[in-house]
Amino acid sequence: MDNTNTKYYYPYISPFDPCKPIVIKSYSTPPHLYMGFQPPNLPQFSTAREALFRGTLWPALYDTYPPEKAREE
Amino acid sequence: MSTPKQVPQAYYDLLEQIQAIDFVLVELNLYLDTHPNDAESIQQFNQCSYESRKLKKQFEKQFGPLMHFGYSYSNYPWDWIDVPWPWQV
Repeated sequence: MDNTNTKYYYPYISPFDPCKPIVIKSYSTPPHLYMGFQPPNLPQFSTAREALFRGTLWPALYDTYPPEKAREE
Repeated sequence: MSTPKQVPQAYYDLLEQIQAIDFVLVELNLYLDTHPNDAESIQQFNQCSYESRKLKKQFEKQFGPLMHFGYSYSNYPWDWIDVPWPWQV
């Protein structure tokens, strides 16, 4: 299953659109979307501090949530 | 003008440890809401809870009350009003 954390799409650009065209747009698809019901005994981050800094207890659910999505060309 | 009271680095280190363990407790709590029969996680939850209380007791012995309204004991004189207030930390 292709579960990258960011997906992209290319909006339609109208010839009559006065504004600068937005060629590419992106949206966030974190891992929990592909997980469904969380299985038990998933591996966890080794320390509480790392879990705090990563924002989740389980690496399988970790996502950096990049703010301005890196444009992929 | 005397400089205001500064807290040692240990204050922040201990506070970060408490924050980290409490975050793990939140994660486990939410996980256990949907997995009530996961005994291993319950055991981990109880261990973390014990650890969290231990850290908080240690913090309060050193730096005074962490919470008010009776969630922490008070020293004499009443030191909840001392700096740093929670939002100043």
